[in-house]
Amino acid sequence: MTGAALRRANLEALVEAQGATRATPPLLLSADPYFDLAGEEFGRRLLLTTDATGAEHCLRPDFTLPIVQAYIADGVGKPAAFSYLGPIFRQRETGAAEFDQAGIELLAQPDGDIALDQVLTFARAALSIFHVVPHVRLGGVGLFEALLVQADMPDAWRPRIRNRFGHTEALDRLLTRLEAAPDMPREQQPSRDALIEDITAQMVAAGLSLSEGRSPAEIADRYLEQQALDAAHVPAATLKLLRDYLAISGPVLQALTQIEALASQHKLMLGAPIRAIRRHLNGLGEARVTFDASFSPRLDYYTGIVFEMTGANGQILASGGQYDRLLERLGATAPIAASGCSVWVDRLEAEVKL
Amino acid sequence: MTGITLAVPSKGRLEELTREWFAQNSMIITRPGGARSYLGAIEGMPEVTVRFFPASEIARELIRGTIDIGVTGRDLIHETSEQGPGAVHFAKPLGFGNADVVVAVPDSWIDVTHMHDLADVASDFRTRHGRWMRIATKYITITRQHFAKAGIAEYRTVESLGATEAAPASGVADIVVDITTTGSTLAANGLRVLEDGVMLQSEACLIVSRTAERSPPSQAQLDSFLTKLSAEIAS
Repeated sequence: MTGAALRRANLEALVEAQGATRATPPLLLSADPYFDLAGEEFGRRLLLTTDATGAEHCLRPDFTLPIVQAYIADGVGKPAAFSYLGPIFRQRETGAAEFDQAGIELLAQPDGDIALDQVLTFARAALSIFHVVPHVRLGGVGLFEALLVQADMPDAWRPRIRNRFGHTEALDRLLTRLEAAPDMPREQQPSRDALIEDITAQMVAAGLSLSEGRSPAEIADRYLEQQALDAAHVPAATLKLLRDYLAISGPVLQALTQIEALASQHKLMLGAPIRAIRRHLNGLGEARVTFDASFSPRLDYYTGIVFEMTGANGQILASGGQYDRLLERLGATAPIAASGCSVWVDRLEAEVKL
Repeated sequence: MTGITLAVPSKGRLEELTREWFAQNSMIITRPGGARSYLGAIEGMPEVTVRFFPASEIARELIRGTIDIGVTGRDLIHETSEQGPGAVHFAKPLGFGNADVVVAVPDSWIDVTHMHDLADVASDFRTRHGRWMRIATKYITITRQHFAKAGIAEYRTVESLGATEAAPASGVADIVVDITTTGSTLAANGLRVLEDGVMLQSEACLIVSRTAERSPPSQAQLDSFLTKLSAEIAS
């Protein structure tokens, strides 16, 4: 066997050795769930086609969604493990639209920590088949959420800040806006009833449904909330805390120490999520590990710890983490622990040739 | 192989204005077969073949490189492909066909004045209404790019090829991304442009394809053609 074929066979063996069900979802999938879950941003990467009824299908753009959907359809609850290796299809700026991914999905496992360890070990093992000692970048979604819930600010700002976590520019714009919030005297606001009456009249005049989309009450409430927010400043100390926190990025131990110092300075209880990150460091071996406080995928179903592994030229070779909210988003009635990762086989093969 | 291909809009106001603009620059575009013919020429310039295309096809063919130079809207280059702007060179704005691609919401959304308000509304729209916020538009590529920049991921586009401004009233969508010159059609339909809602300022431009393969003589002909129009030659 030549080098490439041998590496492929080794990867195949690794995927088989996970004690997991080998998943082989169809190549042609309904496109709607992808748009529903990941929005237009991911949607533009899909290779779409339309059937005679006008329904949209896409060539399988990942394995996670069909695996998790099938798991939910079978009746959730039992711990399950899936592994995969096969082609996926995405529009990319460079490279072919068809390429292979390998990965694992661990669902409803009794111990989320152990599950994430297995995921990290799988990713490391897959990379070492291609002789890659990666740079591991960790992100703490759970850590940020813990900080946000304890930081001193009007409650209404928390979801607004959380929603922008992972999008550096959008979050920066929001913080800048909050920092510049002028001390304006509050204008006398019309009553909620008067507002609702006004908005209803406008909607009726424009021919808008009062029940289909946003309702007059929803708009009035958000308007009043917005006015109240303009008056309810996020304390300058909290804004500084957020800025300081989000700027932390570096070797993992050093970064976590900085976060602990920040936590004690602001009297925040971040011990549990920080310990959770520390527990996984042993399994990462000799890899260079950094923690980046502002790093998070832009999808709100991620929880806990997320990671990326990059190679010599900075390309992402493996990514994954914990996403306990994913199954709920796809129709499960309660949150179910989930973690997994995928590795980019074509990029790994390219690393060998570097 | 020598000669260059110039594509101009095949009908309507845009065709007239384009031919007027060339005429002002001492180039008379002829269309021997009349409005039903799609092949023309420029008087005294046998090296230029003129083709009459719909404006959106001109954008597509410039990006693909099957024509050398064309007149079409900047918006269409951005919309046709994410790689569109990189595949062409905007040699000269022509000063007509000005219009903005904008984000507009119903007047009654008094709480939404900026893109960041829209981000907040989009983020919990699904929890409140069991579906994503829907945006009617024919500018799907531009919408995706602009919304991604604004950090808004939680929405669906609904393709709308005409009368986009009617989509909120007909229940097809919640808001629109549309093209407007004065905003009056939007206003007449109870829609208001967000204060930072201008996504793209478009106008008719003379555009050179960067992807078209040209022999050195054709390239020289193209450069001299652009010079005559005092348009910028691509580096």
